[in-house]
Amino acid sequence: MASTDVLAVFGPLNNEPPASSFATLDVRNGHPVLDFDAAADESAVFTGILPRNYAGGGLTVNIHWAATSATSGDVRWQAAIEAIASQDIDSDGFAAAQSASGTANGTSGVETITAITFTAGAQMDSLAAGGAFRLRVTRDADGTTGTDDMTGDAELIAVEVRET
Amino acid sequence: MAVLSDSDRAELHALFMSDTSRERQTIAGLSKPDLRAAVNAADDWAEANKAAYNNALPVAARTALTAAQKAQLLMYVIRRRYVVGA
Repeated sequence: MASTDVLAVFGPLNNEPPASSFATLDVRNGHPVLDFDAAADESAVFTGILPRNYAGGGLTVNIHWAATSATSGDVRWQAAIEAIASQDIDSDGFAAAQSASGTANGTSGVETITAITFTAGAQMDSLAAGGAFRLRVTRDADGTTGTDDMTGDAELIAVEVRET
Repeated sequence: MAVLSDSDRAELHALFMSDTSRERQTIAGLSKPDLRAAVNAADDWAEANKAAYNNALPVAARTALTAAQKAQLLMYVIRRRYVVGA
């Protein structure tokens, strides 16, 4: 694998919802989506294995999403990685989340792609090729890390993980 | 009754966004802070006009209904006018 190669793709049906503050599964014109609330932070979690041909670079997590009802405004997305190797799975061990903002399309059903980047190493929880991992995607609805002023839910359509 | 507390207004703000999202109502060009300002203004208006509403009711209803019942009556009328009948 090399830079820009796709390493993993997740859809709403792959979500492993956390015990609390979880994004909720919904259907939009037959498309499964995950609804992230506008007033409180909510998360979705996906499990994968980093392909063995991963070349050791950073990662870019592309979040494909659309506004439920809004036609303007920004959503603040966060992503965090937990390498499962050496992790006691009875507790969580996500590395610090990385963040990025995306702006809603002028048509609420049209997607926006928001990229969140990770440098190799600690930001990726030192995840290595062939390693199992969890990816947690969060809407920072209360704007702790940046402006989130879009009214209404943000609907996650898909997540792509690429080598940067 | 005084205006709603900040936490009550925040709860209404969240509830409005949740309900409109569930119903897939389009909200164009309005940010979360803008919507919160509207919640505040609506509550301020209700406070400023509560006496006028009470005085608008016929004496019989004004006397017999509790404050909560008068509020519920107004809610029913507004809902019929602007939501169900929209």
